[in-house]
Amino acid sequence: MFRLNGQSEDVPGDWSDEPLLHLLREHFGLKGAKFGCGVGLCGACKVIVDGEAVRSCTFPASALEGTEVRTIEGLARGENLHPVQAAWLAEAVPQCGYCQSGQIMSAVALLEQNPAPSDTDVDAAMDGNLCRCGTYTRIRKAIARATEAV
Amino acid sequence: MNRRGFLKAGGVGLVALIGGGAAVFSQVPVIPSRPEPDFEAAAGWIAYRDGRYTLTLPRAEMGQNIATAMKQIACTELDVDWDAVDVELHDTARAGVKPTVGSESVMLFTEPLAQACAALRDAVAAGRATGEVEVVARPRSALKVFQRGGAIGQSPVIAQGLEIVTGQPIYAADIDRPGMLFGRVLRAPASTEVRSRPVAWNADAAQAVAGFVAVVEDAGPPIGQAQGLGIVASRPGALDAIAEALAVEWDVGSDHPRADVGAAIDVDTALAAGPLPHVSLDGAPEDGAWDVDLRVDVPLAAHGPIEPRAAVAEWADERLTIWAGSQDVFYIRDVVADAFSLGADQVLVQSCRVGGGFGGKTICTVEAEAAALSLALSAPVKVQWTRPQEFALAFHRPPSSHRIKARLQDGRVTDWDHAQVSSHVMFTSAVLPSWMQRGTDLFAGDGGVERGMAVPYRLGRARAAYDALRLPVHTGPWRGLGAGPNALATESALDEAARVAGLDPLAFRLAHIDDPRLAAVLEEVGRIADWSGTAQSAQRGETRIGRGIACGIYKEVSYAATVAEVAVSPDGRVRVTHLWCTHECGLVVNPDQVKAQCEGNLLWSLGMVLTDDLPLDRGRVAAEYFSDAPIPTLTETPEITIALLDTDNPPVGAGETAMVSGPGAIANAIRAATGHRLSRFPVDVTELAA
Ligand code: FES
Ligand code: FES
Repeated sequence: MFRLNGQSEDVPGDWSDEPLLHLLREHFGLKGAKFGCGVGLCGACKVIVDGEAVRSCTFPASALEGTEVRTIEGLARGENLHPVQAAWLAEAVPQCGYCQSGQIMSAVALLEQNPAPSDTDVDAAMDGNLCRCGTYTRIRKAIARATEAV
Repeated sequence: MNRRGFLKAGGVGLVALIGGGAAVFSQVPVIPSRPEPDFEAAAGWIAYRDGRYTLTLPRAEMGQNIATAMKQIACTELDVDWDAVDVELHDTARAGVKPTVGSESVMLFTEPLAQACAALRDAVAAGRATGEVEVVARPRSALKVFQRGGAIGQSPVIAQGLEIVTGQPIYAADIDRPGMLFGRVLRAPASTEVRSRPVAWNADAAQAVAGFVAVVEDAGPPIGQAQGLGIVASRPGALDAIAEALAVEWDVGSDHPRADVGAAIDVDTALAAGPLPHVSLDGAPEDGAWDVDLRVDVPLAAHGPIEPRAAVAEWADERLTIWAGSQDVFYIRDVVADAFSLGADQVLVQSCRVGGGFGGKTICTVEAEAAALSLALSAPVKVQWTRPQEFALAFHRPPSSHRIKARLQDGRVTDWDHAQVSSHVMFTSAVLPSWMQRGTDLFAGDGGVERGMAVPYRLGRARAAYDALRLPVHTGPWRGLGAGPNALATESALDEAARVAGLDPLAFRLAHIDDPRLAAVLEEVGRIADWSGTAQSAQRGETRIGRGIACGIYKEVSYAATVAEVAVSPDGRVRVTHLWCTHECGLVVNPDQVKAQCEGNLLWSLGMVLTDDLPLDRGRVAAEYFSDAPIPTLTETPEITIALLDTDNPPVGAGETAMVSGPGAIANAIRAATGHRLSRFPVDVTELAA
């Protein structure tokens, strides 16, 4: 048993060999986390496990017991977007958008751990999240905006 | 509106719709051939029903946020609120549209869409509620869009932005179908231009893997000459284990004759054998010594979209439905229909948001794989390429080898000679079978390789010629096609020419420019970067600082100039610290998104100089992950300052323009910082060590 966006869930037996990413996407139907490389090198699959941003493509489903998993689908409260989501829209960060779920989850975890990150903190937390469209400048701006809002 | 009237019309409201297009079947191979958008076609993109409008986007949405721009055009011309228009992505039941390539969307689609919306607006105002609206073109001056009315020039919240930040399913790999299975087509670890096929495999071992469903021998058309073997599982994670257990033995032909790609395209070797066959500038430089004689080599590069291409295919009731993240779903329909002997009306391809295209998602690959597996199992099948497949099986930016010479007199270039050897962009081997390659190679050049060789400067007796050779790696369109590499080479050479002349590189360029629009972006970038007030070379402690400039015109319509500032550490590491960019693309529909495209192009420019490379091993792509073919990261991102020039010129594209100025500006800044003229890309830091 583990908690997924606040709900108790089980890992079905035949899914225990899968990485968390596939479990989320293809068993629970949560498509926000994305497959980009499958080996922990792009960050598109990031979700938050026990308060840490983790790459779900290399996190085994069998290690979920007792954890608290949060995905991008669980950020908003009804119509109310999380400040990071709102900042992402206000700065029009997404181009293709494919990397952005991972970017947002990294930023959420960063701001929860460090409500006033320095530029160096931002670089350290976000550098593992690749974006081929080149939205990095706006990612920095959106984090700064969310920092003010939080 | 009269709701009863709408109901009587059988569920169809007032639809400015022209019937579905006839299928385009061509001889093998299927070649995309669809008309320029016109007013009649545009009528099918916009519909009115029950007080609301639906815009069926005639373009692929891949991050250029064209859905937002087109919605701005529609809202403006319909004269309705932002929320009155719903945007849908198109499928192939519609009349065919051109592939989404070449930064054409705003240039070619703005007026047709505006005309259709204006006609629909008038029809609704006249009380019509059903039927088709005839679009009678009115003068541009009668269109609100061209008067900068309504939403033109604004930057509303991007379409699908909410879906992206809340993680809603909008990409092909996000599609779920009841009973869906997961597939992959395995191919030999070999060049895609060497014949290969599976000959033996361990089916028993594969069957023993939990989640195994099937091995499919008829795995669809080859990619290049690589015939595949399909595997299907009930869970995606089982595919790796099945592939491993199968331990497929491959029959692979001998190495490609041009397995040493660098040697194959060496421009000096080619020139030693005689003049290059395809001419871009036909001036006749005089014989004699040259003042600039520069060799520039630009390697293969992947597109590197973060989304590995994906498709879901579902064969049911004698019909095949495919969800695809493609720049051209109509082409996919035609290829799939042809490959599996289906009627075009049996195949429906639905566009999904593309997780990064950059020219690379224009042909049919993973979609045919999903189709083959779905047909074999009569079940919906999802296929998403692994990252190694994305590198090995996609096509890439061709490598190019340039020799550029210039001669000067009195501070002006009098003679110019640019020779280039590359591989194909338009007539890519990824699409053309070899018998047809032999035909095209004889008579045709390749406009994609050539793009940008006709430099926008008055250079006296200027010659530019090129050749394109078939390589073991598939090459094709990559953001800006030849324009990026060609401009990197020519702007490097021009910078050297300015040094020979002893002139400021900005003033030197201006002195060779006739086009006032190019002069305008160049002067403006000088102004915003304080070019004349800042030293072009400086030293800060041990760090060498340099500034460089470059400019260009993309596809003869769109203008950009860039100033780059770099800091080079004693060990040769380069950090781009600031990029200033000016851009003029006529009437701007959405300034913020045009800036976003500039930002993307500038990051790609940085990648071109500092990182882009795709290592090969005996003619086969050896890169498997981003660690082998890195792309720019957040920490490498410089400060970026962009200024758009606001003009009343007709709206044109922005998606690739700054590729003509960004790379050259960075290379020229490195030259200013270090005194070293880069000739091989990406940079080798050991060349730049102090
Ligand atoms: S998909 Fe997990 S890091 Fe790339
Ligand atoms: S927005 Fe496209 S990869 Fe980041």
